[in-house]
Amino acid sequence: MKKKVLILLLVPIFVLGLSLNVGAEPLPEFEMMTTTEDYDPVRYEAAFMIQENLEELGIMVDVQPTEFSTLIETFYDEQDFEITISGWSGRIDRLDPQHFLGTLHSGQTDLSGNNPGGYENDRVDELFEAQEREFDPETRQEYVFEIQDIAVSEQPKNVLFYRDEVPAYNQETFTGFEPMAGEGIYTEWLPFDAEPLTDDLTLTIGTSQEPDNINPLDSTTVWGWKFMRMYYDKLVRLTPDVEPEPWAAESVENIDDHTIEVVLRDDMYFHDGEPVTVEDVKFSYDYYVEQDFAYFRPFYEPLDYVEIVDDNTLHFVLEEPVGNFIDVTMSQIPILPQHEWEDIEVADDLGPDEIPTVASGPMQFEEFESGEFKSLSRYDDHFAADDVDIEGIDFIIYADAEGVFTGLITEEVDMNAWRLEPGHIDLAEEEEHLQLVEVPDFGYYHMTYNLRVEPFDDVDFRRAIAHAVDKDTIIEVLLDGLGEPGNSVIAPANPAWHNPNVEDFDFDLDLAREKLEEAGYYMEDGRLHFPEE
Amino acid sequence: MNQKGYLLKRILQMIFSYLIILTLLFFLFRIALPDPTAALVVEGLSEEERQLVQARFGLDQPLWRQYITYLVNFFQGELGISFHYRGPVFPILVDRLYNTLALMIPAIIVSYVIGPLLGVLLSWKRGSSTEFTGIVSGLIMRSAPLFWTGMIFVMIFGIWLGIFPTSGMRTMPYEAAHFFDKIFTLDFLWHLILPMLTVAIYYLGLPMLIMRNTMLEVMGEDFIELCRAKGLSERKIMYHHVARNALLPVVTQAAVTVGLAVGGQVVVEVVFSWPGLGREIVQAIQTSDFPLAQGAFMMMSGVVLVMNFAADMIYSYLDPRVGQGGGK
Repeated sequence: MKKKVLILLLVPIFVLGLSLNVGAEPLPEFEMMTTTEDYDPVRYEAAFMIQENLEELGIMVDVQPTEFSTLIETFYDEQDFEITISGWSGRIDRLDPQHFLGTLHSGQTDLSGNNPGGYENDRVDELFEAQEREFDPETRQEYVFEIQDIAVSEQPKNVLFYRDEVPAYNQETFTGFEPMAGEGIYTEWLPFDAEPLTDDLTLTIGTSQEPDNINPLDSTTVWGWKFMRMYYDKLVRLTPDVEPEPWAAESVENIDDHTIEVVLRDDMYFHDGEPVTVEDVKFSYDYYVEQDFAYFRPFYEPLDYVEIVDDNTLHFVLEEPVGNFIDVTMSQIPILPQHEWEDIEVADDLGPDEIPTVASGPMQFEEFESGEFKSLSRYDDHFAADDVDIEGIDFIIYADAEGVFTGLITEEVDMNAWRLEPGHIDLAEEEEHLQLVEVPDFGYYHMTYNLRVEPFDDVDFRRAIAHAVDKDTIIEVLLDGLGEPGNSVIAPANPAWHNPNVEDFDFDLDLAREKLEEAGYYMEDGRLHFPEE
Repeated sequence: MNQKGYLLKRILQMIFSYLIILTLLFFLFRIALPDPTAALVVEGLSEEERQLVQARFGLDQPLWRQYITYLVNFFQGELGISFHYRGPVFPILVDRLYNTLALMIPAIIVSYVIGPLLGVLLSWKRGSSTEFTGIVSGLIMRSAPLFWTGMIFVMIFGIWLGIFPTSGMRTMPYEAAHFFDKIFTLDFLWHLILPMLTVAIYYLGLPMLIMRNTMLEVMGEDFIELCRAKGLSERKIMYHHVARNALLPVVTQAAVTVGLAVGGQVVVEVVFSWPGLGREIVQAIQTSDFPLAQGAFMMMSGVVLVMNFAADMIYSYLDPRVGQGGGK
């Protein structure tokens, strides 16, 4: 009998004890996905540095170096992650804030969308849609700045750093290179920049990246387009200060918020001697729409139709008012010769030898031997040919960065197309003939949290751990000082849209602890625990 | 079993092995590698656009249907379209294969001509310091990592002395009308020397050591005693009687090496930026280019099987006991 009473007494004590214990749960160990050391030693090492600091706060992290494509698939397609360290490259058309701000939009949170962390904020959505429609640059800038303010202070992802590109060139053979943010010295303006110092008028570039193909309706890599833009003309070109400048167009003008009037130059010829006409321009845009080239869809999507007004005037009529059609679309869609393309029904079915390479740019296509070589020569009948001092550009394709570097040392090449690896920079500085150029990038590297997982859904938690990332050390140690600490998704290298006044989160573990405590988290046995309910 | 029956049996075995390889290849890549369209997301492709790309490559079909298409295509001699290059796989592979062979065949010839000759010498000089030096250097050549030898060569001959080119297989720009136009030039030989020596040095050790060991075995046999008793010169005994009998395992090894060489030496091809098959395979894996990777492995496994078959045939010809059921 006594026993029964005891048991009856014990039951409520147990229940009470259990319920008291509910809140006292430690944070589980989180998986942090990052690249393999082989793919990018910087992101790999950075993950371990962050892991160490988070452990100081009692947050256990398991770093998972993952092969790049698998990482991308797990991160974007499956959203099967807790923390991921990844990056966005700075492509020239991403200087317009649309793309990077889109990574914060709630419309992109579905599987495979660009906002895999699942960040949603009504005000951000509202501003995002408003800036898209805004024609006035100043008002648009206000919207863009406010989005950055909100996103930085809510920390759905921690922008870690912007990495400088460090290309090099042989200063004894060529000079005059003008670096562009995010592009290095292999820019669209390269043929106009390079000035030969010797009798060798052919600029030789070493590269380890090669085009996937040279079909303007099929290439989906930066390296395909960086090459093709040398020999295709576009209506508009972006200057080194990223201002749109009429190029194949004599003038470009918004005549109302749905219509852009383009007057075409009348002194343009394709490389086969045929004149470039308004029909070719209209054909090019129509052809992109008709062939539905997915990679370019964001560019032509706002377009309703193109109308030929007279022999050298066209009207581009948009479905909705779009603020960046001139900067982005007109500077990216190449002018194709109608007589070469009109009979091709399915452009992406073309085999490597069937792709037309006739264009109208200042350089003309000569040769592309995959894995070995590609080359361009100056097109003397181009309207800007007088400003080009070089006779041609040869590209030697190496197997890896090591090969490119050897090419620079042995003077086989005059410059490299991409950045030097951190390990090569010191060695290159010792070479008298090499000149290094430091160029800021507007792409960014980030640590993104899955906001569907506790406690990453808690703004206070995310803000607190932002203080646990030592960005300065990452840059000093891993990038040899060649980079800038990150904050916003729009980098300082993009001054027109970067908000310089976003909140700063200094590296300060004590402050991080304090903030975690304020939010109700507490330490026990060396582990951080969820707030008690 | 008679010679014909043996031949038939081996051919059937070969076909059966190849079918298994085909199946393994198909599933292996699809299980181990990520979706090839995943990388496009980084380039800013939306989900809808990506589905279009998937449909274009047939990746939206169920796996079993893809497998049937794959087999049917294979028997029609169709290896598919490369996801990365957007062009047919076969011409890309053949082009790279020629480049690889242009590097590997000279390397194998050099190593399998010099290697066995040195092996004879070593066994002849048994116990001397020549033999000791020979064995040690053979082991060193065999164990030095290829990329290391390659990089040392690049550093010494390419950068310090500047006498050999360090990358590629010809000086560009250079228009070649066809493949033979590309390789029958002095410029090609000039480019070939460093990578070829790197591979040859690596391959040299094995035939040399095998030759030496078998020589020593054969030298202990009775008929050699007899040769000596006949008063033949030592040189004649070594090169005519012992070496001929000791060649058997070297021949087998050579056939296997040729088979494997088709895949190229990835490391050498990367160090010297040689546009060969090995480099292409690595890239295909990195970009999840299933058709290209599959095609490359089909080609490689095919050649390995054929070369193994050839080795067996040569063996049974050189040593009739093999394949007659008496060779155990």
